[in-house]
Formats: sequence, structure tokens, C-alpha cells
Amino acid sequence: MRVITTDVAVIGGGAAGCYAALDLNKQGIKPLIICKGLVGKSGASLFAGNLVISGRALGNSDENARNTAEFLIKYHNQFLIDQDWAQRCGQWLEKVYYPELEEAGLYIRRDDYGEVVTSPGKIRSIAANVQGNSGVPFMDLRRKQVIRAGIARMEETVATALLSNADGSVGGVFCLNCITGEYTAVMARAVIMATGYSDRLHTRSTGTREMSGDGIAMAWRLGATLLNMEMQWWHTNDLAHPPSWQRMQIYPNPMLGSEKSARMLNSAGDEFFNQQQDDPLAFGPYTVQLKALVKQVRAGRARYDGGYYAGFDKCDAAEVEKYTTYGKTFRQLGLPFPAHMAETAVSSHYRQGGIDVDTNTMRSSIPGLYAAGGVGGHSNGLIGLATYDGRTVAQGVARDIADIKAASVPQQQLEAECSRLERLRSSSGDGPSPGKLKEELRAVMWKNVGVEKNASDLRSALDDIDRIRVKLLPGMKIRNTAKSANYEWLDAIDLMNMIDVCELVIHSSLERKESRGPFLRQDFPLTDNDNWLAANVLKKSGNGLRFEKRPYSLPLFAPGFSRKDNLEVAW
Amino acid sequence: MSVFPGDAPAPASALDGRRLGQTERHDTLAARNLRLTQGDLLLVKVRRSEVSAGDDACQEFQVPYQKWMRLLDALNWIAENAASDLAFRWFCGSKMCGTCAVRMNGREVLACWEAVEPDMVIEPLRNLPVIRDLVVDRTRYEEKVASLEPWIERHQPYAGLPEPLTHKQMKDASKALDCISCMCCYSACPVIGLGNLTDFAGPAPLVQLAQTALDPRNSPDKVRRSLEMTGIFNCVSCYKCEEVCPASIPIVSRVIEPLKAKAAQLVPEMAAHSFALREVVARRGRVDPGELVLRVQGLRSLRNLRRILRLFIRGKIKPIRTLLGLKTSAAGAAGRILGDEAGKP
Repeated sequence: MRVITTDVAVIGGGAAGCYAALDLNKQGIKPLIICKGLVGKSGASLFAGNLVISGRALGNSDENARNTAEFLIKYHNQFLIDQDWAQRCGQWLEKVYYPELEEAGLYIRRDDYGEVVTSPGKIRSIAANVQGNSGVPFMDLRRKQVIRAGIARMEETVATALLSNADGSVGGVFCLNCITGEYTAVMARAVIMATGYSDRLHTRSTGTREMSGDGIAMAWRLGATLLNMEMQWWHTNDLAHPPSWQRMQIYPNPMLGSEKSARMLNSAGDEFFNQQQDDPLAFGPYTVQLKALVKQVRAGRARYDGGYYAGFDKCDAAEVEKYTTYGKTFRQLGLPFPAHMAETAVSSHYRQGGIDVDTNTMRSSIPGLYAAGGVGGHSNGLIGLATYDGRTVAQGVARDIADIKAASVPQQQLEAECSRLERLRSSSGDGPSPGKLKEELRAVMWKNVGVEKNASDLRSALDDIDRIRVKLLPGMKIRNTAKSANYEWLDAIDLMNMIDVCELVIHSSLERKESRGPFLRQDFPLTDNDNWLAANVLKKSGNGLRFEKRPYSLPLFAPGFSRKDNLEVAW
Repeated sequence: MSVFPGDAPAPASALDGRRLGQTERHDTLAARNLRLTQGDLLLVKVRRSEVSAGDDACQEFQVPYQKWMRLLDALNWIAENAASDLAFRWFCGSKMCGTCAVRMNGREVLACWEAVEPDMVIEPLRNLPVIRDLVVDRTRYEEKVASLEPWIERHQPYAGLPEPLTHKQMKDASKALDCISCMCCYSACPVIGLGNLTDFAGPAPLVQLAQTALDPRNSPDKVRRSLEMTGIFNCVSCYKCEEVCPASIPIVSRVIEPLKAKAAQLVPEMAAHSFALREVVARRGRVDPGELVLRVQGLRSLRNLRRILRLFIRGKIKPIRTLLGLKTSAAGAAGRILGDEAGKP
């Protein structure tokens, strides 16, 4: 087995991971990126539709700047965010992020006369080349910066376990190259977890194929503290068909260079969401939309898996397609655009929660382990926020690294992980394939840990997962035992992480006894700021887990009420 | 028409010659998305690396149709229900990552984007080594892209946000920015199919290069160094790349032709053949293959006497005309159109 030594191992090749690696490299600290997909071509960052303008950048007024901060804290995080961090982040985005990107060559979309094209509204955004597709050229630029800097990459390589030192600190990563089947131990003085915010735990989920909660599961196994794991976001208008397009969104956001945007109709053909009227702040549509849909579902005029419609039928095709990609799905289905609406459904999207970090350094609760981007529990992901995390973690690691001694290779752990993976590869029961089990697990989550939750459904989901773990896993069957490009084997590895993370999500959901933003408890319908304006902190203890509540301070924005029906709360 | 029909085919467009291609494609798409109904069985033949049965190493599957089914849905169905060991690569499922490209009935497509056919043969991309089943080794492509150093080196200091730049200046580069490096074009390119016979970089690496080489912010010096490594004049402009591009990038007209023009300007020796052709036509009013080859290859071209004889017998070359520099009646017109400076770098 190959053993590689580097200064810092970065797990994940998205916005946070790439930026962390670039920044460390600039400081003379040697990073190595371990990416389950391809750096800059997989993961959540690829899906960034546009870039929100923060602060006073690009002609933003004071009011725009304030709105953006309010959007981030209120609509995007439902106050479950460190507001000081949010402020630091906003300032960095304004002063450093956009200019640095443009200087590196990012093409921020202009019109023929050279004006930067923005979306109208109280919060403005820009696009990299085309709205709806900004993540592609954005991350492509990062990929090329990483190549240009000569930063080592291990691509299509899954991190399967964190390696720990005798003192409990993290000292490396165990990896499997999915294409060649080779094992590698990466020994590093610090490990940055940057695996993103979405884990595809539900039947309908956004995010890319390789996402399966690996970052959370690996960190948890070593005892990292987590928080707000229940705070799951949803996309309310992704295409209902075909299954693989469950992450294809009919964007409700304001369009670049236009005053119009998409609208949504229920099964009776009545409009129930129109961004201009229903979300005047113009950039918090996801939760606002979700709440509007919940009311329709309760009235029998929509289902979470379809039966309602979205599209641009009140817009002019040329206007929509001038700066956006929004017509592409309709056209590829052969539907007249924009006259026809498409049937839509809900998909699970970001998770706000994740690994607990000190937002000044991105240290986790385990020495040597840092987290950046969506996998962290300090904020909901956005490509700019993830990038700021990449920068912060690089500074944090640089500060600490001189004091961290290089670890010795933990032979015992390597052998144990090898044999765990080999056992999975030779699963020869007479039961279902790992792919089938993944789908079964996702079905449990979709059915009982979906948009609307209650204690009895959540408990029954725990029972179902227990059944999968105890009854079905031992009989799992892998047909192909080859090492090279064996996606069945990868599915089996993923499944172990997914099961663990699903349980943590359910336990956390049971613990938060209120409804807040996209987190809807039928048995606790009120948003309860008296008791739950707090992080739902999850700690490992012995073989079990325990919860702690950690209130947030509110230096900039406060909810202004104690308790209220969540469906009547604007955010 | 109901408010949200979603299933009816597009109304027939008024006949407009300029939009014929678009209309045809639209009709086929509508038809392909609508001619199958829920539960219809599709016949899917997948080329496998480790199947011994059958001459063509294809394995057959019957897959029930689901509404608006894409090829990726069919492959996922097979992996979940019939062959859990089927190897195929995909990440995003929504035409962003560009990793799920395969050949469907002989044509390069993105599995996540293409509607299924009732009867399909699915094969891996060409021009790249197959790792297993539908998974190809991307290394050759990635290395070529990296060697072209497709990034910006500014010749003027950055002016600050927002820097002066218009979309007109980015017209061609912005088309190239739609590239998702799926390598469909790389698989379809007949010149790449010739292997090491040429030093052609291939359409996909050229699109990647064009993102910065056609960006006015890039230094001409940097662009020149990159272009020197492309072998771009080996492109025969057959439009195969453009035909299969899932991102609808006009690869020949908006990428390769502008890059060729840049190369002719920055590295004129690369364009020797084009310049000679243009000069011959301008002066003599026709293409004279004999003169063209002599001018481009010099006396080297005389070494293969058997070939020269064969071409002479078939009337492909006419040495007397070439030596005397005879003009056709079109010479005057050709000279006027191509200009006096024709052929001069």
C-alpha cells in the first residue's frame, strides 16, 4: 500500500477545498486534494446558479448591502448563524473575493456595451457567463488554478477513514482510488474536511452522485461535535420527471437583466407562488416557496413528489434566454418554451448543519481536523461563503501547523481499514445489492423524514434503518469483485456512511422541538425563539450521543417575536 | 391548450428555411420524448468489457420506460435491477459535470441529457482507453488541456472591479465557456481518430484553450505559446464536433476558425498551407494540388516517385500547367476577391 506524506490533506475539490489548497500553497504549505469526483467538476459548487453581490460591491447601495446581510442571516439561516462570522464574511467577499476572481480571469457577464448585468430587486446578483450555469466556469477556473499551481490531486478517490494519532488528534486519511482500486494512506499534519453540504439521503435529492455523507460520518466516528443536523433545506421546484433530473431546478430567483421570473401553479392551475409578489425581498425564495407549497399540499392541491407546476409562461422567451440557461430543460423535453409549465416536485437540498467549528480558525473539536464549506455547521452553503471558509481554514491551519508534529504511520489502523474494505468488496450474501439498499434507505428518509416531520414517523424511520442495518446489511451481495472501476463496491462504502448520517439527522430532528424555516414539525408547529434560537449540538458519548443547546448571540438582526406559527413567519 | 399540458407536442412552426435544422431537431426531440408511454419496454444493448457471450460483447437488457426517461435513468435502472456491476461514470445528472458521455446508436451523447430510444446500443466513447464497460480513461485529454496552459496572463495590470470589458469582445470566448469537457467532440473527431499521425490537440482541448485565448485580457505572447502546441491546422472542418456538442457550442465557427485566424496572425508558419492555398488560388484562379504540395513541402514532396506517377496517371496533378503557372479564366475574379496581398503572411 502506498503511503504519501503531505503537509495538509484537503478532502473535497469544491469551492472551499480548492480555495484552501490554493491559499495554503501560496503560503508555502504543501496541500494535497483528495476528491471523490473530479476537482471542480463534481460536488455542490458546480450547481451555483449565480453569485450574490455583497456589501457595496458593483454599485450596491447601503440598502442592498443591508438586505444581503439580512437575507443571509434570516432567510438563509433562520438566525442559526454566527452573525459576527457573517459580517466578516460579507466584508471579505466585497473586498477580496470578486476582484480576485475577475483578476484571475472569471468572466462576469457584461452586456454589449460593457455594463455588468445584474438581477434587479433588493438583493442583486451577477453571473459567471450565464445565469443558472455560473458554477461551471467558476469551478473550471478553480480547477485550472489548482493545476497551474502544481497542487497534487488524487481524483476519483474516496476518503474512507480518518487516521488518528495516539493522542486522539487526526494525522491522515485512508483513501481508495475508485478507478484503479488502489489504497493510499495520506499522512498529513492537518486534515481539512471540505466535502460539501448535501448528502443525497432522500429518494429525491439534489447534489451529485458521489455525495453520501462521508465527511460527516468520518468526523463523527472520531468523535467530532456536530450541530443542527436536522436543518434540511429543500428545493421546491425541481422537475418531477425523469428521476435523474430530480436536481434540475426551475429557478425561482430574479432573472438577470429582467423584471420577471418563474411562477408556480397548483394542480387546479391556480398560481400559488410568484417571486415578485410573494417574496418581495427577492432572494429568499426557497423557504418562502416551501411554506407556500406546504399549504397547497395540506389543501390537497399538490404533492411533495409532483402534481404542481412551474415555468416561465408569463415571460418572453428571448428575455429569459438572453442571460440564463432556464430554457434548456424545456427545450430538451421538446416542450414549447415558455408557453408550457413543467411538473415539479420537492428535492432535499442543502443541510445547514454539520461539523461544529471555531469560525475564526475552522478548527473542529478534534485537534488536527478542520472543516470548511457546506460540511461545517456554522452556516448554510453558498459558493461565496464556502470560498471564505477556504480562506479562513487556510489561515487557521497556517497558524497551527508549526506546532503539529508529523505523525507516524498507524499500521494497525491501515490494516483494519483495509480489511473492512476488503470485506465489503467480497460481500457475498443472497440479499440485495448495495445500490438497492441505498435506494431503500433513501425511501425510508423520503417517507418518514421528509418535508413535514413528527415524532412517530421519525421513530419509525429509526426502526426501519435499524432493520436495514441488522437484517439486510449482513446479506448484501456484490456481483463483481474486481478492484477497478467497481461502483458496486463504492456503493457499499457509501451506504455505511449514509446509514450513520441518516440516524444522526433523525435523532437531531427529534431533539429540536419546534418548527423553524424549512424544518417543519407537525407536532411542534411554532417557531420557538424563547427555547430554540439555539444550536442543536450533538456530541458523541461512549457508544451513544447526547445533545446540548447553545444559544446564538444576535448583534445585528433579531427575530423580534417569541413564538409564532412557523407557516406565518416570513422567513 | 390547458395551462400546464406538459405532454403535448410543440405546434408545427411556420416553414422558415433558416430555421429548418432547429425545427427538425425540435420535432425529433418532441417525438422522442412522447412516443413511448409508461411501462413500454426498451431494448438496451450495452457494450461490456467482461461479457464473453455474443460477438460484439454487448449485453441486452429490457428496461421499462418512465416518463421523460433519459439514458442515465435507463442505466441506473439496469444497475439497480439487472446488472449491479455495470460500470458507468456520472456525477451531476444535469449537464454540468460532463462525465457521463457515451455513444448511443453510434452518436456521442450525454447520458443525463439524452432521451431514450426504443432500441439502443450503448458504447463507451472512442479515442480514449476503456477502463471498464462505459468508463473511459480521461488522462490523455486532461494532460493535453493542461499542456496548453489554458489560463490568462495579463499584459496589462488588472484595472479593478469591474474592469472594462464588453460582451462583444467576449463573444467567441463566452461560447467556449459553456464547455463542460464531456469529450463528446473528442470522441467524434475523425482527425483524433488517426492517432499519432497528426499532432492535432483535438476539439475539446481547443475549446478549453479558446476560453482564454479568445479573451482580450490575455497576453498575445501567452496565446502564441499555447497555439504553437495545438496542431490546429490539422482540423479538416468536418463539423462532427459541432454536431455532437451537448452544450451546443459552435465549435468550428466560433472556436476553431477564430483560433486558426489568431494562429495565422501570431504564428504564421503554422498556417503555411493555408497561406499557400490562398496565394495559389488568388494568382491562378484555381487550386493546383501540384503547386500547393511543392510550396508547402518543398522538394521533399518529390521523393515518393511512385505516388507522383500514380497521381499523374489519374490526372490529379498536371506538371506542365504547374511549371508554366497557367491561369484559368477565374484568376482575375479570384485575385479581386482575395486581394493583392493574398497569400502574404
